This record gives sequence, structure tokens and C-alpha cells, in this order.
Amino acid sequence: MTTMQPKALMSDRYQRAFTIAVIVLVAGWHVAGAGGQLLHNRPDYSSFAFQCAMWLIMALAITAGSVLVLRGAPAWCPAWTVAVIALAASTAAAVASPASQMLAVNWSWGTAGWTGVLVLLRRRFAELAAFLTAEALAVLSVQVQDGLNRTDLAGFLAVLAWSTGGQLAVVAGVRALDTAAGRAAAAARSEHAARERAATAEIIQAARQARWLALQESVVPLVAELASGTADPGDAQVRIRCATQAARLRRLLAEGDDVTEALVHELHASADVAERRGIAVEIETAGPLPQVPEPARRVITDAAIAILTAARSQARITLAAIPAVTAGIAAGIAVSFVADTGAVIGLSAARGEVIIEQQQDGVMLWAEARWNSR
Amino acid sequence: MEQPVRVAIIEDHPVVTEGVASWIRSDPGQRVRLVHTARDLAGLRNVPPPSVDVVILDLELSGELVTTQISRLVTAGYRVVAFSGHSDPVIVMETLDNGAHAYVSKEEGRDHLVEAVLAAAADRPYVTRSQARAMLADQGPARPALSEQERQALLLWFQGMSKASVGRRMSITENTVRQYISRARAKYAATGRTAPSKDALLARAIEDGVIRPGEIVPYQSFAHADRLSADRLSEDAPGR
Repeated sequence: MTTMQPKALMSDRYQRAFTIAVIVLVAGWHVAGAGGQLLHNRPDYSSFAFQCAMWLIMALAITAGSVLVLRGAPAWCPAWTVAVIALAASTAAAVASPASQMLAVNWSWGTAGWTGVLVLLRRRFAELAAFLTAEALAVLSVQVQDGLNRTDLAGFLAVLAWSTGGQLAVVAGVRALDTAAGRAAAAARSEHAARERAATAEIIQAARQARWLALQESVVPLVAELASGTADPGDAQVRIRCATQAARLRRLLAEGDDVTEALVHELHASADVAERRGIAVEIETAGPLPQVPEPARRVITDAAIAILTAARSQARITLAAIPAVTAGIAAGIAVSFVADTGAVIGLSAARGEVIIEQQQDGVMLWAEARWNSR
Repeated sequence: MEQPVRVAIIEDHPVVTEGVASWIRSDPGQRVRLVHTARDLAGLRNVPPPSVDVVILDLELSGELVTTQISRLVTAGYRVVAFSGHSDPVIVMETLDNGAHAYVSKEEGRDHLVEAVLAAAADRPYVTRSQARAMLADQGPARPALSEQERQALLLWFQGMSKASVGRRMSITENTVRQYISRARAKYAATGRTAPSKDALLARAIEDGVIRPGEIVPYQSFAHADRLSADRLSEDAPGR
């Protein structure tokens, strides 16, 4: 896995699946349960058309509620609008039911409760409790209006117990699954972070390895030659090799530093050895500079080391941003070197994204390395 | 032979004053004569403007930056060449904006101070590398629009090339290099705060043919390109 996203989305995907399960449950109840009951008791209603209209209103409320919850946790206002519409339609249907057979023929009670569950599922539990209580009170008051006897009251309590019990069980289940999914996602995230850390450590290790190998190729043979006496420290060429390798070692140390202007920092490090040799090195920047990637910085500091090693007494290094053609953002950088090298230095004209130009005027060498961001 | 240029040095460190005096003495043409030295600005009272052509001013006197005092000096009629250990482009730009003729950092003193004084006495632009650096680094909204050639000449000069080398690099004569750099400086004299010294520099640049009045256009942000009319601005500029 290369990115953080899929893991982070995992708990979202589970939550969505639970939401869809609740929608199927509520819609299924409304169509099969409530709809079946409505058709079955068709002859008992004083106005079947009115009951059908209420059923349709509730179907619309469920549809609207489904859209809301599929878009994410609904806000207070739309959630309660849907719930109250369902409750109003359900109560109207109950009022219009024949008084004596309320519990037997009323199809709407359960659906109103399920619609409330659907839209208030992931809101505070107190809201759902308030809604279910309001619904129970509405049904009870309709029955009181119709004349409540002991049998009706027992029936009411039984229906209340199993329907509210079922609704609360579904809510509790979904919430438990939400929590479990959240934990699983968090665990996956921390596992992913651990893997990222391991990958970063590997990259750092590889970079160290590469540096070590680079030293094996350049510094180690030189030290071996000096130790065995095959390289003579009195030889000017050997001294130049020593100065170059010393500057590279110094730069290697500077490359690991976390600084804002890495190139300037590494140029200072590259100049350090030359300054110890008594070369007066000036480093000046003009204005804000763009960030230069490490491979390009290496080409530029390599040129600096070569020129500073050849400088006899003085060197000036300047850095200036190359303005972009179309906007105010710096598009590149021009690093120049003016030094009394006495001759042109063997630098390749272009390496990677860096172009190097040179011009010799008497003992003074001018060289410029240009890097352009793409 | 022309009269030597009369200078005053305002510098709080006597050893620096002594060093500047020795550069002036060692000028082969003896083109500059030191007429007054003082350790603070109050010391200038003895030499009102007609009796001194150029003031070499250390920007930090007794630990205080005096860049803002420059506008008072140029309004009084002095020509100021700033000579300072500070090379921060912001300070350089502020010094020029306040009306100093030139800015010479202490590292540049030996090679450039006498020449800068002579140029200032004639109201001609003199651009040191530290000035070129400040002009290249300038991000100010009121900065003038420099041509590609002017910018390139300034950049190569800042990088440390001699003007002859800059000319070879750009395939132009050394004289044209001077023209480009002077023109960039003249454009700066035409922008920002008004000062008699800047007007004098600009008038001289126009007189010398370094710049034409129509060439002075402030920097245009691409965001405002359609709102600014180059014609209207070039009409405004010479009348400043």
C-alpha cells in the first residue's frame, strides 16, 4: 500500500455498508410489513385512499432520509424534518383508523419509528430516545382519544416493547459495528505509519550506503596511497586530490543537515576547506532563492569544489534567482563562480538539469551553473 | 585641469576615516580633496553645501543607523555616498531610495569609493556590486521594470566579472555594459521617494543620453498589466 487514503477510508466504507443495511431494513419494513398490512386490512379503513396517501408520504420521507444519510451524517434540521413528517403522517393515519381496531389495523406505527432510526442513527442517542418517546405518546394519545380499555393498553405495551426493542437493538448494533470499524481503521493506520517509518529508515540507510560507497571509490584509495607511500604529499597533484576529497567529505556532512537554504549551506561547507588553505571566499545571494533538489545541488557543489581547489587566492560565489517568464515566482537559480584559477577547469557543460558555462579572462575564471525548475 | 572634488567624511571610527583619507591621497590624479571630517552629522554644520561637493557617510554612527537622515542631507543640498559595513540589500535599497548617489560597502571601498565620489560629484550613476545585488534582489512593488539586457548586465557585474568581461560575455562593448548598468540605476532614481539628488541623477542621465524619458516605466505586475498605461506613466516621470 503506497498511500494513506484506502486505510483511512476503511471505517467510512464500513459505516456506509451499515447505513445501507438500515435503509434496506426500513424500506423493506415499509413496503412488505406496513404495505402488506395496509392491503390486508383494506376493507376496514373508513378511507383507504387517505391511508394510501399517508403511506406514500412516509415512503417519500424514507427516500429523503436515505439520501440524507448516504451523503454523510445529516444535520439537525433536515434529520428532524424527515422524522417529524413521518411521525405526523403516521399519527394522521392512526387517527383515521377505526377506533376499536387500532392495534390490529394500524400499519404506520412501526414505519414512523424506523424512519426515526434511519435519520437519527448517528446523531446523539438522546435525540432518538426523544423521538421514540414522542411517537409512543402520539400513539397512546390517539388510543386515549378513541377510549382506552385494559386489553388495548396491554396490546399497546406489547407492541411498544417489541417494536421499540427491535429499533433500539438495531441502533445499538450499528453503533457497536461503527466503533469496531473505527478501531480496525485506527489499527490499520498505525500499521501503515509503522511501515512508512520503516520505508523511510530504509531510504536513509540506502543513502548512507551510497555515500559510504562513494567514499570507498574516492577517499579510501587516496588514504591507502598516502599510507603506503605511493602518493607523495609533496606532489601538487596529490595535494589537489586531498583538498578535493576533504571538501567532499565536508559537503557530505552538510548534506544531512536540515536547513532552509540547503544549497547555500552546502556551498559554505564546500568552501570551508579552501578557506583553511587561505583562499578568501565570498558567498553572496541576491534575493529569495528557490529550493534546488539534491542531485542538482550535488552538480553545483561539485563545480564549486573543483573551482575552489584550483583557486590561488580568491573566489567569489554568488547565487541569484532566475525570474520566471510568466510569473513572479523564481523559476531557477544562477550560481556563479569568479576565481583566480589561471585556467579553465574541467567541468562538463551539462549534467542532469544543470548547465555550466565558463569564460576565462586572464587569470580570472568565470563559471556559471544554471538550474531551471521544470 | 579641473578643480578637485571636495569631500567631507562622516565616520565615527577614526581608523576608518584615516583609511579613506589614504585612498583619497593615493589617487594618482589627485581628483578628490578631503576638506572636512566629522564623527557625527552635527559636524556638517561647519561645511554648508556649496563648500563641499560630496559627503561620504558611514551609515552607522555611534551604533545607530542613519539611513533616514539621508533625505534631510540631500534636501539641504549635499550629495551623499554611503559607505557602510552593512551589505543587506534592504538597507542598500533604503539608502538609495532616501537619495544617496551611491552605496559602497566597506569591502568595496578601496576599488570603488573614490570613483563613486567622482561620479556623485557629476550627478552620474555609479553602481557597486552591492548595489547591483540590492537591485537584483528588490521585490518592492514600486521597483522599475528593467530590460532583459539591463538585468543580465547587472547580474554578471554582481557575480564579480569585470565590466570588460561582462561585455565579452554579452557580446557588447564595455561602454554598452556601462550604459545598461547606468540605465538601470537611473530607472531607480525615477521611482520611490522624491529627492533633489535623484532628480539631478535622472536629469543628468537624460542629458547624457543614458536613458530617454519614455524608457522610465515602473515594474508592472502581470496582474495589473492591463490597468497601467505605459504612455501615461512616461508622461509623469520626467516632470517629477
